[in-house]
Amino acid sequence: MIDVLAYCLVGAGLALGVWSGIQAYRRLPTNDALMIAAIVLEVGLVVQSGIGIARLRAAHILEPVTFVAYAVGILLPLGVGFYLARIERTRWGSIILGAMAVVVGVMTLRLLQIWRSDGV
Amino acid sequence: MSEAPSPAADRSDEPPPTGPRRILIALYLIFALAATARGIVQVATTFHTAPLAYVLSLFSGVVYIGAAVGLTSERPWSRRLAWGACGTELVGVLVVGTASLIDRAAFPHDTVWSRFGSGYGYFPLLLPILGLMWLWYSRPDADT
Repeated sequence: MIDVLAYCLVGAGLALGVWSGIQAYRRLPTNDALMIAAIVLEVGLVVQSGIGIARLRAAHILEPVTFVAYAVGILLPLGVGFYLARIERTRWGSIILGAMAVVVGVMTLRLLQIWRSDGV
Repeated sequence: MSEAPSPAADRSDEPPPTGPRRILIALYLIFALAATARGIVQVATTFHTAPLAYVLSLFSGVVYIGAAVGLTSERPWSRRLAWGACGTELVGVLVVGTASLIDRAAFPHDTVWSRFGSGYGYFPLLLPILGLMWLWYSRPDADT
């Protein structure tokens, strides 16, 4: 994993959460800009998981199976949030997308934690 | 049931909003995935070190899946399944949470429900309460 990328993704997840929260506070559903931001965040997550899994063998971490489970699992919440935000065209759609973005940010931190647990 | 997509004009009052149900579905899906995956990894790799905790992880995962299915589907049994799953979760998180505080030795390895789910931001305690509140609020005979 790349630390800078991971921290950027944590920040992006939280920022998207706040942005969606503001949108929900205004009683608005998600708009195009939010959905595009979610897609960009998801692309970043795919890149991160790809790099992490590719470097897994060289990294000698304590729990490789858990790492792969997280690296794959982290790609799902935004997909669920994106789908539900599209069918739920109310403020609740924004709440759902924001909640999933925060979940992704927290999962990135956990992923980084697992990555740093040395197995050597 | 009350949220069935049939022509909703048979009653004068508005159907309950779908939003709260959908966010519950999203959160339950995340927890179903997290707890089940965790349980499977633990049971498959290091089962002997803490069988009770790992079986509990797996069990909680199955219960979350039950709740997610119960909330998502709209079959005659859906609401009963959701009630059962959310109720089981609430009892589970309270019993395991209390037990893990009283007797730490019995729970050397964390489960989703240990210490009332503090490792997961107390969401394991919050979710079943929200789920039960929603089921109560949206019950079909609420306004008859």
